[in-house]
Amino acid sequence: MSIPLRRVVLVDDHDLFRAGVRAGLGKTVEVVGEAGSVADAVPLIKQLDPDVVLLDVHLPDGGGQAVIIQVAQDRPAVKFLALSVSDAAEDVIGVIRAGARGYVTKAISGDELTDAVHRTADGDAVFSPRLAGFVLDAFRSGDPVADPELDQLTSREREVLQLIARGYKYKEIAARLHLSTRTVESHVSAVLRKLQLSSRHELTRWAAERRLI
Amino acid sequence: MSVGPLRLPVALPRITRVERDRVVAGVCAGIADAVAVDPTLVRLVFALLSFASGAGIVAYLGAWALLPAPGSPAPRRGRRIGGTVLLVWSAILALRGLGLADSVVWPLALVGAGVVLATSSNTFGLRQRHLQAGALVLMVLGVVLFVQRNTGGSASTLLAPGAVAVALMLVLVPWAFRLVRERDAERAERVRSEERADLAARVHDSVLQTLTLIQKEPGDARRLARRQERELRAWLYPDRETAAAGTVAGAVDAAAAEIEELHGVRVDVVRTGDAPLDERSQALVLAAREAMGNAARHAGVDEVSVFLDAGGDGVSLYVRDRGSGFDVDAVAADRRGLAESIRGRMERVGGAARIVSTPGEGTEVELELKQ
Repeated sequence: MSIPLRRVVLVDDHDLFRAGVRAGLGKTVEVVGEAGSVADAVPLIKQLDPDVVLLDVHLPDGGGQAVIIQVAQDRPAVKFLALSVSDAAEDVIGVIRAGARGYVTKAISGDELTDAVHRTADGDAVFSPRLAGFVLDAFRSGDPVADPELDQLTSREREVLQLIARGYKYKEIAARLHLSTRTVESHVSAVLRKLQLSSRHELTRWAAERRLI
Repeated sequence: MSVGPLRLPVALPRITRVERDRVVAGVCAGIADAVAVDPTLVRLVFALLSFASGAGIVAYLGAWALLPAPGSPAPRRGRRIGGTVLLVWSAILALRGLGLADSVVWPLALVGAGVVLATSSNTFGLRQRHLQAGALVLMVLGVVLFVQRNTGGSASTLLAPGAVAVALMLVLVPWAFRLVRERDAERAERVRSEERADLAARVHDSVLQTLTLIQKEPGDARRLARRQERELRAWLYPDRETAAAGTVAGAVDAAAAEIEELHGVRVDVVRTGDAPLDERSQALVLAAREAMGNAARHAGVDEVSVFLDAGGDGVSLYVRDRGSGFDVDAVAADRRGLAESIRGRMERVGGAARIVSTPGEGTEVELELKQ
């Protein structure tokens, strides 16, 4: 089976970092465009209509969330993968709630990033161990980043997230829980949906309370 | 703290003597120009004032001393002081001439002099602080004198306390306002500069040092860069990154940092929740540290993952590597680290340790402490 070529737009305000990502991505991913700000990224993404946007959480004029919110209405098929050095849970959860399909840290290797791009393009959720930790926190009542309006996780979903946080790959999780890989993926997607399910209004309020906007 | 010159809340017109229309020294014409009235009117006022014990003449002399000639700089200090004294004197003469009692005139004069002194920026070439101190003394003296002289208090003098109060407020309110504003601005500036200094010190002490070290010891770059990263993160995201000392999360972070330093591997800690550090959880942290050290030493990998899950029902901690792995049953007997430092330690505090390892695939040590 031949791997399809994925068209990717890279949004990050650091030239050096964009060059590094470009060099590290495999042959199955083509970088069709780059932008360094929200103002540049939005029209570029609308024009190029890529499969995946690799999006920095922090951008000088509004952050990754602003890009997602402005693009999502016109180009619902474009998928976003957040990429960040930030360890602030609010920032990461914020961009996920705006609609990103996953979050990986900038320390990720080129091969892993290539794999993550393909999974994002296929519509899967890409959870790094750190994101799994943040999400578990977000669903934990009493935690500062927790939101009481979030639907609670099922025990299976929680189990899957804990295994991701421990560093397990989907395939390993499937073997351990006697599930198919597909089922593990659907659990992760369900978690993502629960995070994103709030209305735009609620998201705005959520972000405002946490001083994200 | 520095205090700027006091200013009256109203702008006074700038007065200079004039050559044109002048009769004696151009004082009256100058004043008339500044306030836009007929010079004759001003001269009439001075003439009338002269009937009050010659107050008009004294005032004219004072104004002549004070007001600069057209096109020339402000008069010298001696002349300014003399002019002011003459003006105050004329005011006293005028007030007495109007029939006010000495017991009212002198206090008023003192307060008036205080107002003049407080509102003059550098007229007398004195330090701002000295000026203000002097002004305050004069005004207080005026009030004291007034109270002392008027203890019997006739009805006609009841107006005077009001006048004194108004004069004081005219001077003191804008002055206090300015003081507060300047202090706030100063404080904000101090906070900003402290932040700048802190950032500069941080960048210099740690980041520049690390970069210098890396240039000297390129082989050590990875470890140094990681240490720097850890420090910088702890500083940038203090609430998130540095779990409080005295909690399990904080202790796990510290243990991970030590192992990174010792062995030059990356220990990635992911955590959710936290719990206070007590004797039992302290044992768990020590066991975790041993497990991280084992992974760093034996697994042959450059990254170890740690996941801490601390919740209401207990603490779980997982140390995982994707390294060489080993046969747990074969080595458990002679590896003291595994048997004693991990299993034994957990069992003694009523916890459990589970070790899963597959040669070629890696190892996971699972530590559990039920509440």
